[in-house]
Amino acid sequence: MSARATAVPIDVARLIVTTLNLEVAPEAIDPDESLFGEGLGLDSIDALELALAISREYGLELRSDDARNRQVFASLRSLTDYIDETRTR
Amino acid sequence: MPATRPAFVPASVGVPLLARPHGAVLFRRPEGEVTADRFLAAAHGLAAALPDAPLLNLCADRYHLALGLAAAALAGRVSLFTGERSSAWLDALAARFPGLTALTDHAATGPAGLPCFDLTAIPPAAGDFPAPCLPADRLAAIVFTSGSTGEPEGHRKSWGALAARSRDAGRRFGLTEAAVVGTVPGQHMYGLETTILLPFHAGAASWCGPAFYPVDIAAALAACPSPRVLVTTPLQLRALLTAGIALPPISRVISATAPLEVALATAAEHAWNTEIWEIFGATEVGSIASRHTVAGPEWRTYPRVRLTAAPDQAARVSAPHSAPFPLNDRVALDGPTRFHLLGRGNDLVKLGGRRASLAGLTRILTGIEGVEDGVFIAPEDLEVRPTARMLAFAVAPALRAEDILAQLRARIDPIFLPRRVVCLDRLPRDPLGKLPARALEALRAQALGLDAAAPPALPPPALPPPTLPPQTLPPRTLADRPA
Repeated sequence: MSARATAVPIDVARLIVTTLNLEVAPEAIDPDESLFGEGLGLDSIDALELALAISREYGLELRSDDARNRQVFASLRSLTDYIDETRTR
Repeated sequence: MPATRPAFVPASVGVPLLARPHGAVLFRRPEGEVTADRFLAAAHGLAAALPDAPLLNLCADRYHLALGLAAAALAGRVSLFTGERSSAWLDALAARFPGLTALTDHAATGPAGLPCFDLTAIPPAAGDFPAPCLPADRLAAIVFTSGSTGEPEGHRKSWGALAARSRDAGRRFGLTEAAVVGTVPGQHMYGLETTILLPFHAGAASWCGPAFYPVDIAAALAACPSPRVLVTTPLQLRALLTAGIALPPISRVISATAPLEVALATAAEHAWNTEIWEIFGATEVGSIASRHTVAGPEWRTYPRVRLTAAPDQAARVSAPHSAPFPLNDRVALDGPTRFHLLGRGNDLVKLGGRRASLAGLTRILTGIEGVEDGVFIAPEDLEVRPTARMLAFAVAPALRAEDILAQLRARIDPIFLPRRVVCLDRLPRDPLGKLPARALEALRAQALGLDAAAPPALPPPALPPPTLPPQTLPPRTLADRPA
């Protein structure tokens, strides 16, 4: 096992809040609530910004032909799980 | 094919459905290329099967979207295009267009409450088909900028107007056998013109696979032959450049939907050894002008498009097959075919390729039960800062900000949702009941936390002069796009 720590929802929540300049506290994001639409209310411009930040932070590239794309962005928890599985740093 | 032109309309000039050789590639799908003859066979097959109803084209795959549009035009059905999917908006459309049927390419994309027609279930017609001519004045499409503009009528497009704009764009950009990779949805005017209609009337083949995230775009470009043309937006262009992924040679990049900063254009031209051009247009008339961003701020109209001056800087556009139309943006004319943009009209906001009216958004806010007063404000840098969103202020003693936001979510395009609604005891209206520009500026600064000196609580009706920092943003050079 490498030295890197397991990604946890709170780290990803901080990344989301900082990247998108949200007014919500990272701790206040429910890991199971949806990120887009109802819930956190993110939109497609956010998705693009978030993909860049995730790539920078974790060295993984999001792509929309990934059959799991919808699931990946479903919630903070699913996004965190995906990052953990596919990250390169 | 059913006659759809009312008898009193004189027979008009015929405009071909497709002006491409039979073997020309129109669409490039991940699973293979679609040539003009295959496309025509599929369009004829579909035209014979379409329900007799206005069609809300929701297809996600560009090929399906194009097929739906072509078949509908052949069969004399009108295609509706909207980027907004809020239930309130779809209900309004269904009420306005009786029988409205969603044309989909996947059962799951059909909205609740509308009949759906899955076009992927229809086989192509057998045989060879010449490209038919359609009457130039046939109503082919109605395009909606956004449900938030208060424009439920949409913008009506004849086949002649759609064809003319595509042909002119093809000439302006010298497209002969270009592989177009578009990152913008086909349901918006800019995406419709560049990624769906260009292949019909100019030498272009449009990529139909995914192209949203930087890796998608790089893979799409790699899957296409040279010469490649990337059709995108400033935000995606910036993301692609930031991602630093290696790209195959791109002969031209076309950007629209928001102003493209010269520094970004310069950096991208350098990194990709290409030319970056911007398109200017409006949903009412389509694309009408272009400029090479790094070469200067002046726009040149497409061939056959002319501008004439009108009072209050609202120039009138005349273009083939379109009624003369006043621009929403303020421009300075340098002659009938050259102009500079001065700014947006006061009430207009654009974001993510969508267009809304501030007054329309405000009306929706104040129409919520329990909201006594309210206003929507746009941040100064709405179009250049990726995280910038609308601001909303409400007076609603019995409601929580979250409740108001939830109500807004059901009624307006998500892109125009404020990040939060600021609840106030009252708005800083003047004695005449108006919200003076200075008071709005103070609210905006307060909400953005820009001005430490902004009054923390609302002052009495006559606001003290706000002590705002000088404008730190350069004047906006507004690269428009068809919204």
